[in-house]
Amino acid sequence: MNASRRTRVALLVFAVALALVPLSGDRFWVQFAAKMMIAALFAMSLDLLVGYAGIVSLAHAAFFGLGAYLLAGLTNGAGLVSPLATFPLALAGTAVAALVIGFLSVRTSGVYLVMITLAFTQMLYFLFGEAPGLGGSDGLYVAQRPRLSAFGTTLLDLGNGRTAYFFIWAALVAIYLLLARTVRAPFGRVLAGIRINEARMRTLGYRTRRYKIAAFVAAGALAGLAGVLDATLYGFVNPAIFGWRQSGLVLVTVLLGGKGTLYGPALGAVLLGVLEHFGEKWTAYWNALIGAVAIATVLALPGGLAGLLRGSRG
Amino acid sequence: MVEALLETEALTRRFGALAAVAGISLRIEAGAVHAIIGPNGAGKSTFLNLLSGELKTTSGRVRFRGEDVTRAPPDRLSRLGIGRSYQTANVFPELSARECVWIASHSRKDGEARVAERGARALAACGLAARSDVAAGQLSYGEQRQLEIAMMLATEPILLLVDEPLAGLGHDEARTIVDLLREVARNRTLVLVEHDMDAVFSIADTVTVLVDGRVLETGSPQAIRESPRVREAYLGEEE
Repeated sequence: MNASRRTRVALLVFAVALALVPLSGDRFWVQFAAKMMIAALFAMSLDLLVGYAGIVSLAHAAFFGLGAYLLAGLTNGAGLVSPLATFPLALAGTAVAALVIGFLSVRTSGVYLVMITLAFTQMLYFLFGEAPGLGGSDGLYVAQRPRLSAFGTTLLDLGNGRTAYFFIWAALVAIYLLLARTVRAPFGRVLAGIRINEARMRTLGYRTRRYKIAAFVAAGALAGLAGVLDATLYGFVNPAIFGWRQSGLVLVTVLLGGKGTLYGPALGAVLLGVLEHFGEKWTAYWNALIGAVAIATVLALPGGLAGLLRGSRG
Repeated sequence: MVEALLETEALTRRFGALAAVAGISLRIEAGAVHAIIGPNGAGKSTFLNLLSGELKTTSGRVRFRGEDVTRAPPDRLSRLGIGRSYQTANVFPELSARECVWIASHSRKDGEARVAERGARALAACGLAARSDVAAGQLSYGEQRQLEIAMMLATEPILLLVDEPLAGLGHDEARTIVDLLREVARNRTLVLVEHDMDAVFSIADTVTVLVDGRVLETGSPQAIRESPRVREAYLGEEE
């Protein structure tokens, strides 16, 4: 379970390299790398659910979307600008939604769970896409980017591209460390037991549903954080981020990167982002290219990118 | 009459038209090794699954330590003190033996020091102390059965439901398990489903014979061995 030394060194190098991107001074690449880091955070949060608890959910984009819209709503509607207010509130709101959806979803399993989470995602997609108060299909601008001020001085301005970049970088590193700790802690080991053999966990005395709901809420709240960061970076939200396509894509990211490793899905997100960027320039059929990469990975590398990095196949 | 540790009252489970367990009323006395034997399809495993809550009862009652637990789910029964082991080793193949036992022990949630201590004790009692770092899936079949029992012990059950612990084992491995069960039974109550008659008659205090989901007879091993009805229905075919 413990990441090997080689993997740790590679991850450290990777994190340092990401921290150096703003030195390039190129606004496009800084924003591109920030987008990749948000996608990486989003994929890691789903890995907790898929790779550790063994719950395959298509509701994950819903939590990303809720986080983003909550930030926009709190800023535009309630006039809250301080991230000390908006971030915790947006995360709490997402967690409550994840609690409700998780409570209703984890009573089922397998393909039924996939269906019910898909249905929730689509409900939210149409709700946010049609309701005029929520911006409709045009989406919403975030009136003011999160900014922390005290005594007339600005301490943190996330409207500044470079500041936002480092903030997102710090969030990614912190959440990786937090998740890596969580999956090694008793909670994570119990989740692994549930993934391997839930019936046995119940006869050993575990209220397995509670654990699954807890995992659902934790993963959902972190997906919400990814959404909050996305809205912070772009200053704009639109209902397309709720789509089941997004939920499907993040699931592919997790499998491509190697589920149950945390860093694998993060690398998967980067790989997919790079493929999308260059694929788009190279051919109009880049979506098919991504499909081909996904198929090749699943067939040849069951352990995903992480398996390749560890030097073991699957 | 002294209250039994566990008591079933006309316990019934139907699968469609078939009553796999058809009105079993049985008393499991505290401290006893109560073996349940019977031909294939007699309802032995179904009966255990009803007691462990893995199957829902169609009708009838189960009382454990005086409390009605007929509708209790398996996790609650486990916390009340009913442990379960399975016919086929039901371990976590990807985890090491130590981790399997840790998971079982951790379910009691009484602090990591106690969890670790209880786990280590269960592994040692089952003769797996030297094999604790081996992945459960890599253990020999016999060792997996030992691990299965270690996991059950790590939850510190009062009543153990043991389903065919000797199935598929060679002579020496079976001996190890029989010795282990005898040791385990010294201060616990055991309900043992097993086909190996030598093993059953050597460790059971009470034997119940099931046929077609009903109790044919309950008695001491001696009485069961000598019962003409049992001989006719079951033992005769075996010998």
